[in-house]
Amino acid sequence: MIQRDVLVVGAGPAGLAASIEAGKAGAAVLLVDLNMQPGGQLFKQIHKFFGSSAHRSGTRGYDIGEQLLREALEAAVEIWMQSTVIGIFPGNKIGIERGMDGKEKELVTVLARKIVIATGASENAIRFKGWTIPGVMGAGAAQTMINVNHVRPGKRVVMLGSGNVGLIVSYQLLQAGCDVAALVEAAPGIGGYAVHAAKIRRAGVPIYTGYTIVEAKKGKDGCVCGCIIAKADDKYDPIPGTEEAIECDAITLAAGLKPVMDLPKLAGCTLTYSSAFGGYIPIHNDRMETSQKGIFTAGDAAGVEEANTALEEGKLAGISAAEELNLISKKKADILRKEIWERLVSLRSGPFGERRLKEKESVLKEYAKRAGIPAAEDQEVEKCH
Amino acid sequence: MSLINTGYLEYEELKAVQKLPGKERYKKGPVAVMECVQEIPCNPCEAACKFGAIHIGEPITNLPALDGEACTGCGACVSKCPGLAIFIVNKAYSETSATVAFPYEYFPTPMAGEKKKAVNRKGEVVCEGMVVKVMNPRAFDHTPVVTVEIPKEFADEVRSIQRG
Amino acid sequence: MSEYFSDDMIVCRCEEITVAEIKQAIKEGAKDVVGVKRRVRAGMGLCQGRTCEKLVQQLIVRELSVTPKEAGTSSARPPVRPVTFGELAGGAID
Repeated sequence: MIQRDVLVVGAGPAGLAASIEAGKAGAAVLLVDLNMQPGGQLFKQIHKFFGSSAHRSGTRGYDIGEQLLREALEAAVEIWMQSTVIGIFPGNKIGIERGMDGKEKELVTVLARKIVIATGASENAIRFKGWTIPGVMGAGAAQTMINVNHVRPGKRVVMLGSGNVGLIVSYQLLQAGCDVAALVEAAPGIGGYAVHAAKIRRAGVPIYTGYTIVEAKKGKDGCVCGCIIAKADDKYDPIPGTEEAIECDAITLAAGLKPVMDLPKLAGCTLTYSSAFGGYIPIHNDRMETSQKGIFTAGDAAGVEEANTALEEGKLAGISAAEELNLISKKKADILRKEIWERLVSLRSGPFGERRLKEKESVLKEYAKRAGIPAAEDQEVEKCH
Repeated sequence: MSLINTGYLEYEELKAVQKLPGKERYKKGPVAVMECVQEIPCNPCEAACKFGAIHIGEPITNLPALDGEACTGCGACVSKCPGLAIFIVNKAYSETSATVAFPYEYFPTPMAGEKKKAVNRKGEVVCEGMVVKVMNPRAFDHTPVVTVEIPKEFADEVRSIQRG
Repeated sequence: MSEYFSDDMIVCRCEEITVAEIKQAIKEGAKDVVGVKRRVRAGMGLCQGRTCEKLVQQLIVRELSVTPKEAGTSSARPPVRPVTFGELAGGAID
């Protein structure tokens, strides 16, 4: 059986950051991801990132991805791409369908002393008449098409959802040469950053707040040829009699993301429900360790946020895993963690972050309560903020 | 705020949230107009300004504050803003015309001398504009900054050009 | 609920389960996502509920007036991603 110090599942920003930190500390790290290339969603992000100028903001997502890959190589992280974790079994055994260049995939078992689950999130679907017609897709799928595969999802797109994903992907659809016929948002106000909304308004995209899509129309070719939108009531249900028709050949859905929970469930991690973080997430402490000793989590899998917070959480997990392996002293790990938490608190500040800041605190509290941690250490959790 | 419902700010609303350059400052030439109105964790503009004219400080969610006297209107901050929310307005460009410089990340990149339809914050065409300058050095990292000349009365309105 | 949410609308694409079938499962006593999954197979297909789990959750929330938390989440078992029998036979989980 293959043995490694740390196995990291998911090579997005959180998984890469965790691998880099553990690798730098001297751990034998194996990073596994089912995609062709490491980087997670970073290589789709062609826009410049928000955040602190001290930490890569103003840099485009794909450049951050390149930087992280270089750091991972320098930290001697072993990366298996096109490799899928199919299960976590008792005794920290991980079943992996390993992709081999040009060869058939094979199942291997890895025994890992520490595991980091950084499996990210998946897009939420929205149900309306015709939502299964070809041409209706997730905004993330459309983003992959334009920014990775260089294929337009359609000539004229209607976007549903005005969170940052909906706004940014609308902008990138325009950059790719598509028209965005409308951005539709069921809530009364725009969900994401106003500056992102301003970009697409300036480019002439109409924004319909308080509207929802009620039907995707099927054309002669069986694909989307338009949609019907209508005013939404306070439950986001359409109000009859307020319908408007919009011509389009693609409908993209940006209805939020939910953490991917297969592996935490299999590993027996205690989960908690958090609407601010997109659904069920594993309870964890300030070291990103779940209720299962030796199993860590980070990034969107620990609550949907954004790449900056994912990076910082990944670092927490990597440092803490290395500390448990006695590769980093407690003193050093504590100093590093304190700095990271300061950055996380700053990233979660302001009107857009406050809710996540509070919710993260209650996740840590729930861990202290439910994972049976003594009260003394519970206070340490509190101190970190 | 209309911004929250419609994605753009009326000029009057912008003025209520951000301290904009005054008449006297505009007389002196180009100056940055920061159309950043929400407390989001972001500060690259602060580091981008080598004249120290932009202040955010701590916490990082503070709105940027511009020191109009220190600002030279050089435009270094325009391409650095991830929100594309900084513009350089020069109301002293000539007797009758002003210039507005804005980030423009669409193809084709316009060229100096081209006539373009100038649009406001809602994407509505307000007047004809003449592209007078396009800056796209490597340091701007694929965010060209385009300067258009427009009739002076539209200097507070025009924020981009029609695509294509 | 509006006329647009008709009962013949598909919720689980993999197993082609409609709104009506899920409502029926709820009527028969399903109280959460797992209950619906066991009765009508919604979430048991290729994607293992990645697409429909939230939609099933929403239906339960509406029909039973419960919170999303009470509507629950589905259970997971290996393999969490599809693997071929060939791979299963060729490799060894030891």
